[in-house]
Amino acid sequence: MFEHDFLALFPEIFLINATIILLIYGVVFSTSKKYDYPPLVCNVSWLGLLSVLITILLVASSTPLTVANLFYNNLIIDNFTYFCQIFLLISTASTIVMCLGYFKEESLNAFESIVLILLSTCSMLFMISAYDLIAMYLAIELQSLCFYVIAASKRDSEFSTEAGLKYFILGAFSSGILLFGCSMIYGFTGVTNFEELAKIFTGYEITLFGAQSSGIFMGILFIAVGFLFKITAVPFHMWAPDVYEGSPTLVTAFFSIAPKISILANMVRVFIYSFYDPTWQQLFFFCSIASMILGALAAMAQNKVKRLLAYSSIGHVGYLFIGFSCGTIEGIQSLLIGVFIYVLMTINVFAIVLALRQNRFKYIADLGALAKTNPILAITLSITMFSYAGIPPLAGFCSKFYLFFAALGCGAYLLALIGVVTSVISCFYYIRFVKIMYFDTPKKWILYKAMDREKSLLLAITLFLISFFFLYPSPLFLVSHQMALSLCL
Amino acid sequence: MEFAPICVYLVISLLFSLILIGVSFLFASSPNSAYPEKLSAYECGFDPFDDARSRFDIRFYLVSILFIIFDLEVTFLFPWAVSLNKIGLFGFWSMIIFLLILTIGFLYEWKKGALDWE
Repeated sequence: MFEHDFLALFPEIFLINATIILLIYGVVFSTSKKYDYPPLVCNVSWLGLLSVLITILLVASSTPLTVANLFYNNLIIDNFTYFCQIFLLISTASTIVMCLGYFKEESLNAFESIVLILLSTCSMLFMISAYDLIAMYLAIELQSLCFYVIAASKRDSEFSTEAGLKYFILGAFSSGILLFGCSMIYGFTGVTNFEELAKIFTGYEITLFGAQSSGIFMGILFIAVGFLFKITAVPFHMWAPDVYEGSPTLVTAFFSIAPKISILANMVRVFIYSFYDPTWQQLFFFCSIASMILGALAAMAQNKVKRLLAYSSIGHVGYLFIGFSCGTIEGIQSLLIGVFIYVLMTINVFAIVLALRQNRFKYIADLGALAKTNPILAITLSITMFSYAGIPPLAGFCSKFYLFFAALGCGAYLLALIGVVTSVISCFYYIRFVKIMYFDTPKKWILYKAMDREKSLLLAITLFLISFFFLYPSPLFLVSHQMALSLCL
Repeated sequence: MEFAPICVYLVISLLFSLILIGVSFLFASSPNSAYPEKLSAYECGFDPFDDARSRFDIRFYLVSILFIIFDLEVTFLFPWAVSLNKIGLFGFWSMIIFLLILTIGFLYEWKKGALDWE
């Protein structure tokens, strides 16, 4: 009945099976008296990394350039999902690579967190290829459930517990809003499939007080608000700094990297493909401006590293929404490029934060004189910070430039103006890192332990990509153009 | 429509139980015979040794969460069991996969020791 569908879903099936096997392996051997109750978290994370890599191969080996609707149109596979899934899996793999050392030092004997990371990766794969409101909601919920658990995974830290609770309450609230939006849409149209919705909404003009249905307007509004909660755009961002700060660092890294890709992919699918209309674009226009301004201003007052990175990610969501609120092909393409480069830079920063964390690296001031104690790491961090800030020859500049270019191309001059201004403001706090590392003499010198090989490789690769992106950007531009085309055509 | 007798039944049984409770008040010899000794907590004849508040055992939560999970499993099993002759082998195996995943969760709990009570 569904033979071809199962073939097309082979990567997901593989990943689920691998997760299950890892779960059983972990629980059987970590409770075995014969082996003296070994902490299996390192083994399980290496095996998890291996299974993510195999999943990348499986996704990549399926032929692109085909469009397939699976399981009664519940899932779709096309160019967009193909590249998004590969990208998501790569970012998950690099998160696991980052936290290998963390597990070793932290004597944290919870292999379940790796199992949960794999499960949430799988649900994010489904999220990217979801083609129906129900499938979308189920995938989002599976992902969020895994996240609630790993946010609260450090039981002896009250920050982690608080973060988990906050994340759970606000996540459940936003899921409720999203679900209410979905049911409004279903109630007023009678369909949940994205393709059917796209057919209904072509030339529809969703206005609140116009002649058209206000129920559909409310539905789209609620879905948008639910998504904005999930992606931490500004009026709905309040949970992000606390959760980012409270959760264990590797969890923060995972939160700020992987779900951004999948939720943005899902949002683009819903709002560009199904509900394409200028009305909701005003909403994203507003959120984009607000996120950029808040990200720039609030991060200035932060002293803690993870909190600062949370605000910086809020600001970056604002920049990404520039591409979204244009709604043109260039806009979508620039959004995708922006996501790619943002994830690249975030992987780099969090690898550094995780490498420095042995001495409770919590405040920015702890970086003092890093240029003397570890000059190469200091250079890496400065280059990444310059790239975040958007200093010319680096990757971050290219992404922001292309986003502003797309905004100018579709006539959103205000967006481009505010984007440039906030990006100049945010230079202040990104460059503060560099100032602290190179010019401050701290009261007490902190010597950090050397990082492990996996993290240094990851840092080297991402740093290379960040600094030499401008020499050969065409592959990324081609791929993102292909993705945008497959979505819009 | 078949819920109407059940509603009537609920009301009648509520009335009946109220009557059963009330009758003992009617025939009690001295209704206001409560005095402090009679109202004190019964702890095998002694005065209570320590505070009534004790730490709540986490195992109760575990058991209730497990109950919720497997209760949900049963709700999925009902429609499957009723329509088994219509859905064929494919429906059968779909449910088997669902059950397998739940069984793996159960195995995890078992090995983790969530089901041990001492």
